[in-house]
Amino acid sequence: MENEKSNEWHWFKGGLLVSLLSVATYFIFAAIADRNYPFGVTAGFGFIAAKFGSLFSGLNENPVIKRFGEKPDAFIEFFLIIGLIIGGYTASKLSGNFKSETIPAEWVKYHGKSIVKRYVFVFVGSLLLGYGAALSSGCTTGNILQGWAHLSLGSMVAGASFFVAGIITAKILYPKVGGSDGTN
Amino acid sequence: MALINIVFGLVVGFIFGFILSKTGITKYNRVMGMLLLKDFKILKFMLTAVTFSMILFYLLGDFGLLKVVSKNLDWGKLVGGLIFGTGMGLLGYCPGTMAARIGEGKKEAIFALFGMSLGILIYALSIKYVKTAFLSSEISGDIFSLFGLNKWLIIIPAALIFVGIIYFVNKKFSDNEKIF
Repeated sequence: MENEKSNEWHWFKGGLLVSLLSVATYFIFAAIADRNYPFGVTAGFGFIAAKFGSLFSGLNENPVIKRFGEKPDAFIEFFLIIGLIIGGYTASKLSGNFKSETIPAEWVKYHGKSIVKRYVFVFVGSLLLGYGAALSSGCTTGNILQGWAHLSLGSMVAGASFFVAGIITAKILYPKVGGSDGTN
Repeated sequence: MALINIVFGLVVGFIFGFILSKTGITKYNRVMGMLLLKDFKILKFMLTAVTFSMILFYLLGDFGLLKVVSKNLDWGKLVGGLIFGTGMGLLGYCPGTMAARIGEGKKEAIFALFGMSLGILIYALSIKYVKTAFLSSEISGDIFSLFGLNKWLIIIPAALIFVGIIYFVNKKFSDNEKIF
């Protein structure tokens, strides 16, 4: 824990670099492909969903499956996910933070070692994450890092809803941690 | 075209994942710490990124170098946002950090990747109902046309609000990740 914290980048450095990446991505893609490319992640998961969905013939005409299966942004974002995995691997290996872990240690402390219990939460949580991201047309990356920067009304509502529901859920999950104990 | 798309996606994803992991944004205790209103490092990181990119986007836009396309407002943004937020609270990470966590050796994130894709598949199955319930009416997401002001009269106050929030939480809370 201690050495993990010491080699972390400052939030300002990370934030500044992400803003440059986000603008450069948008800009370069507009230049090479002549269309605006919103930096996002959700459509990459949509691409995986579309590949699964295409196994069922009844879904071939489904507009969501078609959109994620055919649009180039979903294809790009699928590779963006692969890039994220490699990036996370490289960064954690370089800083010595790579650690194989089945479930988060903080979860174990409050909710026990049961892997089944945690995986039920992960399953439900990830279903909601996928459904919600598709319905609000973007996740934290698309709706906050991009959408808030664009001051899009849709993204501002979506991003604010992420926080409202996330804060309530976290409070229910960890009622004691969230209490105002004045330790900060 | 296909190859450049693959390379482009891989490179952008790699840099993004590297920054997220290096800055500690991928950590379960940091995400939960933010949602429990105890550790605001992620919020400061996000608002820093948002403020800089907002100014850059609109500056480049003024020079005619890019065109910002805003997302329209419909009920799906609110309802979907609440569903997403609940999922994020249960998981302790969002889609981008989920992928980076897979690379960091966190095994449950692989399971979550398939869960999230399945969630989108369920969305596809429910699209008929969703369309009539949440997506039938929308208003333009362009805030500038709504107010009819010069856009910098909105961008600059927005930037000041973001910086103000960063300043406030930075002063009031330490980047204390050991809240558990």
